[in-house]
Amino acid sequence: MLKLGRCVHLLARCTNQTSSFARTLASGGTDITKPFRQIRDGLSWTIPKDLQNSDRPPGEVDVLIIGGGAMGSSIAYFLKAARKAGVSVAVVERDSGYSMSSTVLSVGSIRQQFSTPENIYMSMYSAQFIKNVQEHLQVEGSDPPDLQFNDQGYLFLATKDKEHILHENHIIQKNCGAKVELMTQNQLKKRFPWMNTDNVTLGSYGLENEGWLDPWSLLKSFKEKAIDLGAKYYNAEVTGFNVVDDDAKPIDPTQFAPNGRRLNSVMVSMINSPEVVEVKSSYVVLTAGAWSGQLGKLLGIGTGPKEENLHMPIPVEPRKRYVYFFHCPEGPGLECPLLIDPSGSYVRREGFGGNYLCGKSPNECDEPSCEDLNVNYDFFDTEIWPNLAHRIPVMEKLKVKSAWAGYYDYNCLDQNAIIGSHPAYGNFLMATGFSGHGIQQSPAVGKLVSEKILAGEFQTIDVSKFGFERCITETPVLERCVI
Amino acid sequence: MLTLLSVSISTIVLINVKKWNWNALFVALAMMTFLSITTVNNSGSASWSFLSHSLAVDSLSAPLIILSCWLAPLCFLAQNVVKGNSGSLQNGFLALTCSIIFFLLLTFSSLNILSFFICFEATLIPTLVLITRWGANVERLQAGTYFLFYTLFGSLPLLVSIVLISQTTSTLMIPISEIVTLQGNTFFSINIWWIITIVAFLVKMPVYGFHLWLPKAHVEAPVAGSMILAAILLKLGGYGIIRMNAYFPDVTTLSAILTVICCWGALITSILCTRQTDLKALIAYSSVGHMSLVAAGTIVFSDWTISGAIMLMIAHGLVSSALFALANILYERTHTRNIFITRGFKMITVLLPFWWLISCAANLGLPPLPNLIGELYIITGIISWSIFLAPILGVATVFGAIYSLLIYQNTNTQSIVLSSMSFNEISPREHILILFHLLPLLSIIVAPNSCMVWSN
Repeated sequence: MLKLGRCVHLLARCTNQTSSFARTLASGGTDITKPFRQIRDGLSWTIPKDLQNSDRPPGEVDVLIIGGGAMGSSIAYFLKAARKAGVSVAVVERDSGYSMSSTVLSVGSIRQQFSTPENIYMSMYSAQFIKNVQEHLQVEGSDPPDLQFNDQGYLFLATKDKEHILHENHIIQKNCGAKVELMTQNQLKKRFPWMNTDNVTLGSYGLENEGWLDPWSLLKSFKEKAIDLGAKYYNAEVTGFNVVDDDAKPIDPTQFAPNGRRLNSVMVSMINSPEVVEVKSSYVVLTAGAWSGQLGKLLGIGTGPKEENLHMPIPVEPRKRYVYFFHCPEGPGLECPLLIDPSGSYVRREGFGGNYLCGKSPNECDEPSCEDLNVNYDFFDTEIWPNLAHRIPVMEKLKVKSAWAGYYDYNCLDQNAIIGSHPAYGNFLMATGFSGHGIQQSPAVGKLVSEKILAGEFQTIDVSKFGFERCITETPVLERCVI
Repeated sequence: MLTLLSVSISTIVLINVKKWNWNALFVALAMMTFLSITTVNNSGSASWSFLSHSLAVDSLSAPLIILSCWLAPLCFLAQNVVKGNSGSLQNGFLALTCSIIFFLLLTFSSLNILSFFICFEATLIPTLVLITRWGANVERLQAGTYFLFYTLFGSLPLLVSIVLISQTTSTLMIPISEIVTLQGNTFFSINIWWIITIVAFLVKMPVYGFHLWLPKAHVEAPVAGSMILAAILLKLGGYGIIRMNAYFPDVTTLSAILTVICCWGALITSILCTRQTDLKALIAYSSVGHMSLVAAGTIVFSDWTISGAIMLMIAHGLVSSALFALANILYERTHTRNIFITRGFKMITVLLPFWWLISCAANLGLPPLPNLIGELYIITGIISWSIFLAPILGVATVFGAIYSLLIYQNTNTQSIVLSSMSFNEISPREHILILFHLLPLLSIIVAPNSCMVWSN
């Protein structure tokens, strides 16, 4: 009896493992893309099998990307998409399940309502990319990617005293070409009757290219397309850097001129193994999200001398943010945009079953500790629910179904991205510090970093304002609309 | 001749000197170079000199011997990275390179076809070890495999042909080859005999259909290996065809087909070069193009084309080796061979773009450099043989100019300076390396007879 049970169990496992075979049979017997892939990957003919399927990074690669989240995968995709260049790309990601990555834990929203023109342009570019994602990221032989982009818009609400901020931002956004409209209290009351517009005098509503998407799909599409184009992902962790400074000349640090120092190679240690591979690369791109500051310290950024511009660490640190998923049967439903209350709480619809996501950035003094990703449900009860209930009266009756926590890669200086190379190391690029608006800028950042590598400058959007130099001179580029 | 060989053997012995390995070797090889220049034949007629029992030098081998001796110290100058290896590994590297030079000298000066063949094959093994041991990427295993098996399978028919020749003519001496006549039984057998003799050299040159090993081997080899491969090992093919053609004076049908294939090959590889992303692969494909032209010239076998072939072989050896050395200078600084990343060096290095300019100009055939003389002679000869090849060779030359200028433009004049390009200055060692590649080119301009005479 027991034996029979075990046989059945084993048989079930067998069929699971042969499911790809079954799929091939189901599709008519041939996977037509396989011979093309084999021809493209010509090494398979003469390299021994265990070297081919090696999950060790190669000894030499053109561009090494640290961190395989949305940013890293987007940069890998754009570098490989410039097929004429033929750059070899390796992405090192230490968590193959992406369990703590900000990308998959994010609420996945995209907006153009920023106060810095570069942010607006980046979001506009990304929105265009996302709307046309099936053309860009489709892998031949698979279904086109579906990012479930809900184009519903953001609604920023402002009270009387903060009204002028919305007005000023609106002018900037209009100049950049974003499709945003300002709504008075009456217009808000007419348009959103379920909303309580008591102390709200102005609302800013995004009409197009704003909404939310599934960040896990975005990451997966970027990653699969990058792999299809030839980028290689390695499940490993970066533990050291080697620098070549044979002829480092002393330079004037305020000029931010290169000083002869180069990042030569990166020590990549494999997971669950004492093996460390030295990967020589021409460019190293740091997209490690919340852990970028830590990795920068490995390179000496933050612990070096002032004359070489190494005294300032990368000001990115993890900040924990909670997201709560609740069910409210009488809620606004399809009409609900991503509503941002003047108190800072936000809520959006999730799916079609009367479910919503909400969250709020805590005050500076109340930041939760970042040791783990446990959720504090009291935060919802004390900070978010009262505001929600005040703004949307039907939300007094709701039930929290679940919650999760994720890290913001929080830029302590000005909560804006850091994109560009480090003045001390000319071939060390960074794309981090997005402080909660990373997902929506990931396609644009991918394009910009690939332009920086292949063409030497930012061509699509000039984001030199977001360079690391402002961290050294401590001149923040403040973004007023940070959620 | 014997002095040359004994000096080259002594270089292998010198490897065991503990402290001054590289320098002692360099001095010995430089001495050998100066000795070898005495073989130069400026008299204006093809005649054997330095005659001994089994080694001699004539106006075809003299320039090639001088070229091999000249490049030996230069490739030691270029290969600086191996110095980081342990002592025994360094010795291995030195021993391999010296043995390649030794066998090359023997090949070019041997009077016996069988000893030529043996030394021809003997250069394969050290090169294979050089590629697979000191290459940088995992692709070097595939590169070594391709290199070994292409050249090996190409030269097996050559061995058969040599045995056949020795049996029918009972002699294998090269000076006698002109007066010997080979009788084939049927119309086809002399053609087939010629083909099996030539295939080894066509693969070695390489001609377009048999060229797959070259981009792989050149890209994966360390810089000394690339330089020796590009400069001299390819010329073994040309040398072999010219020597062997003396046995086969009237193989017109097949030679016509092969000439056309070689000309088309030159065109196709030139077009391919414009789309390469790897700098070393670009230079490797340009070698294929030039050598296809040389092969076409040697197969047509008229006075002019043979003279042009010899001249182009020497000039291409120097220029190609200079280009590989330049590519390595950039590679050591940016650790990538991708031309989209190694760009805009004119802003940073001051003298290096000048060397790049001269090398790229030589590559495209700029007068008065000897590359032009060689190409011109070959093209004139081939066009007079058949006018229909004129447009093909013309377009091939134009594309040759296009990609040579592309190399210069991409590495030097792309206007955006990449921020990663802050590296140390070009050391005098590297300047001397390139200068000594280009100086002989200039001196050949004033003494072209040394590289051109072949009238029999």
